[in-house]
Amino acid sequence: MRYDVQKEPIDPRELEAAVTYPGAGAICTFSGIVRDSSRGQTVTHLDYEAYAEMAVPQMRKIGQEIKDRWPEARVAMAHRTGHLEIGEVSVVVSVSCPHRAEAFEACRWGIDRLKESVPIWKKEHAADGTYWIEGDQAKPVA
Amino acid sequence: MAVAIAVRVRFFARLRELAGAEIEALQVPPGSSLADVYDALRAKHTTLPARESVRAALNQEFADWNATVAGGDEVAFIPPVSGGRG
Repeated sequence: MRYDVQKEPIDPRELEAAVTYPGAGAICTFSGIVRDSSRGQTVTHLDYEAYAEMAVPQMRKIGQEIKDRWPEARVAMAHRTGHLEIGEVSVVVSVSCPHRAEAFEACRWGIDRLKESVPIWKKEHAADGTYWIEGDQAKPVA
Repeated sequence: MAVAIAVRVRFFARLRELAGAEIEALQVPPGSSLADVYDALRAKHTTLPARESVRAALNQEFADWNATVAGGDEVAFIPPVSGGRG
């Protein structure tokens, strides 16, 4: 189990190495990547801000939710903070399980829960201005 | 009996920019709830959004608005997280 909020680039292979165990026949890794467009606008870069002291325990809680549902799963999660360029990895969730079906399901559970309950925010720098992304809303920076 | 207790308030993302501060020390009457703390801050920082669009955290855990704060607590007001389809 490994949960990180970090300024440094994330290497998804390192998270996979952290969840590997001899009985794991499947590792499912989700990588979120900074995209060059949003809301029909060109995006130049992003800034992520975290409440790190709360974000890491929230990730740990999601890891426990996964263990409760898929007891053989092992989980690793990492999220970047700070300035990110297009194409960079912003978030990674890696889950190992004996078989692929539960690895896919548990990984999906992990990233969906992370997106709704881990206090990390995205500031989007786009062609038409700068916005805080709050759920499905984009709020212009005052 | 204490006439006021001190809490440490942390703001993040858009709320941090609207409040113009990352951390604020606030004195509130004993027995105050998280909702009372937020209302007191909104009276001071009038651009802070309505409570309905914000979640509260007490000592780094999500908490109900009616939870009571104690001296030395860390309170945070949290805008909706990134979420979305990304």
